Amino acid sequence: MTEIEIGRLLRSGTTGFVIGCRVNQLEAPSFGALVRVPLESDYQVFGLIYDIQIEDDGLVRQLITAQDVPEEVLRDNRENRNVPVEIGVLALGYQHGERIFHLLPPRPPLSLDAIYLCTPAEIVRFTGIGRFGYFRHILRDRNKPVEELLAAHLMAARSAHEESGNADWYTQALQELITLMRDDYQGLINVLSAASDI
Amino acid sequence: MMSEQRENNSQNPSGPIGYIVGGGLKANLQARLSVPAQSVQEGAFVVVESGGWLFYGLVTDLQLGSTDPRFADEQTETRLPAQLAGLLHGQTLFTNLEIMTALMMERGPEPGSPEYDAWFQKVMDEQVHPEPVKTVPQHHAEVRLADAGDIAEIFGKEGEKGFFRIGNTIEGGHPVCVNLDKLVQRSSGIFGATGTGKSFLTRVILAGLIKRDKTAVLIFDMHNEYGPDDTASDTGFRVPGLRGKFPAKVRMVGLGAGASIRGNNPDFTLEIAEADITPDDVLMLSQELNLRETTATTLEALRTSFGYDRWFHAFKHMQVNVFEQDEESGKRVPAEGSVADWAEGAGVHPSAAEALHSKLRRLFNAPYIVEKPASNALQQMIENLDNGQHVVLSFGKHETDLDYLFVSNLLTRRIREVWERRTNAFRSGHQGAAEPRPLVIVVEEAHKLLNREMASQTTFSTIAREMRKYYVTLLIIDQRPSQIYDEVMSQLGTRVTGWLGDADDIQAVLTGLAGRDSLRGMLARLQPKEEVLMLGWGVPMPILVRSRRYDDAFWEELQGKSTQRSEREILDELGF
Repeated sequence: MTEIEIGRLLRSGTTGFVIGCRVNQLEAPSFGALVRVPLESDYQVFGLIYDIQIEDDGLVRQLITAQDVPEEVLRDNRENRNVPVEIGVLALGYQHGERIFHLLPPRPPLSLDAIYLCTPAEIVRFTGIGRFGYFRHILRDRNKPVEELLAAHLMAARSAHEESGNADWYTQALQELITLMRDDYQGLINVLSAASDI
Repeated sequence: MMSEQRENNSQNPSGPIGYIVGGGLKANLQARLSVPAQSVQEGAFVVVESGGWLFYGLVTDLQLGSTDPRFADEQTETRLPAQLAGLLHGQTLFTNLEIMTALMMERGPEPGSPEYDAWFQKVMDEQVHPEPVKTVPQHHAEVRLADAGDIAEIFGKEGEKGFFRIGNTIEGGHPVCVNLDKLVQRSSGIFGATGTGKSFLTRVILAGLIKRDKTAVLIFDMHNEYGPDDTASDTGFRVPGLRGKFPAKVRMVGLGAGASIRGNNPDFTLEIAEADITPDDVLMLSQELNLRETTATTLEALRTSFGYDRWFHAFKHMQVNVFEQDEESGKRVPAEGSVADWAEGAGVHPSAAEALHSKLRRLFNAPYIVEKPASNALQQMIENLDNGQHVVLSFGKHETDLDYLFVSNLLTRRIREVWERRTNAFRSGHQGAAEPRPLVIVVEEAHKLLNREMASQTTFSTIAREMRKYYVTLLIIDQRPSQIYDEVMSQLGTRVTGWLGDADDIQAVLTGLAGRDSLRGMLARLQPKEEVLMLGWGVPMPILVRSRRYDDAFWEELQGKSTQRSEREILDELGF
């Protein structure tokens, strides 16, 4: 499968990073998608898209207040705007050599590193290793829309696992989530409510 | 995963049903159930495997719990899809088992390992055996239902060394045995409210004892139900009596000349000689005859006047309210041979003596008390018991409490004296003195003989307390254990109890036992029929048992299938 580059790194830290991309690249990434940032030949960082921000700029403000803006001007502004779309990514783990770790990456990616959308096979590989250790990174920051993020991730990952013949993954993932969240009644019910909409 | 595990476990009876999550020695252990709650019941016999030890215990309670009360309060199954709700409930709602551990045993090395042979030899030499629990299993130790091997390890294997199957475990149907040789070493009790199967269970145990043939059994059969064939009051089925099943071993004795027991002639009849009755025998009837406090004095005067052998006869034949004219004074005085006349001469108040005479009239009129019995039936009974036979004394038509109290008490006193004498002779090493054959005296309606007022006086309480050393023990059968004197209850080695409705009765059965708080609820919730709780000294640990049915299958197992039917059975089948 061909690699889908979705942008380049704007800024990063140990727990996550922000990608910048053009508007015409925005069809590929989606909320809850798993991405990877290859850093060296045997090291790449994995993350989950939790936020997509489209910032305004001066020209957009002018155009919004203007009347009868021609269609080609709107399209030109969208496609050739100077301000990138910002995509927030939560660091979930990394791969070193052949091993995958659900631990925070030892070094964050550097500016302008290319970010790729994970293929179903890569999703299966990253999420199928171990006992869902990456869930704790998602659950850590309750300021993020955790319930929706998990629901979106579960939907994508379930599809990938089912295609690879592992129909139990989804059940096991839900069980692990229930175990991790059973002391947080409201949070767990929110997650399960979101999951029930999948 | 959890639901799959549950499915697997419910299909595999020897698989784990849960794991230990807490508890202690004083409080019971707590285990988290990993199978549906309905697959385990209160009273289930479970094994906890921890390290090199096996812990054996009883489930005494099941409690519903939740990781957060809101998971239990909210009906999430109405909000979530079934799969999600199922997963959520599997992890947040749970059932905890309360386990009362009683015994622990070293598990030993794995078979095939180098140490196994040495350990197996220790087991064969009985150096390794279950011992009272002294420690606790580890957290998360697996709990499983006991299998037949575990039950046999604790309660013995049927047919070996006097082990007799008394029933099966409720949950697994595994055989549960009782050691008959141990059972008879101390007095025992069978309790249960009316209609719970006490009589059937007693028949089963008695049949086992008779078959085992190590003990003599004397049964005071107040309602004529153990010796002759009977008909079950609830089902209407024929219930074989012990006499019919062990014709060579069981002697049926009827009370009084010409006694007939359910239309059958007894092997011999028992008449009591007036000379055999002592003042103490009468005193024991104080409650039944409503005797006054002066009775003891009057009886002592009678004994002094006429001697041990003649007092009853003499008193019986005295007249009451007979007067004559005194020749010298011309006054009206009690006639010679009257009670008052004797009383005046003996220094007893005449009205006290006359009142006693009046109250003893029921004894004077008892047809089985005669001056000179036709045969020495009492001696014959003792000989029968000595010769490996068992005696069922049927009261026939003499079914009043007075008959029962008087005869059973008098006989037991005499038999006790004989056994005490023989034991002393045997212990002191007299030449030719054989070891007495252990004797079990079966007493129905025991509270009449062993209640608080009577217990200090009757021979039975002495037997319950002390006669173990003299090879005599009691098997008491009663529906109101709370009416039995505490001191006697506390001496009972083995207690087998069916359902009891009264809290006092439940309390009484559990007197002096460890873990009675846990067992109390279990006892109150026994099935009304066939379920019994066995506990006490005679069993290694308390256990809930579905008692063996007293039916044709029981007899076939006990005696082997009979190819020859009795005449009676053939006639029954033909409708005669």
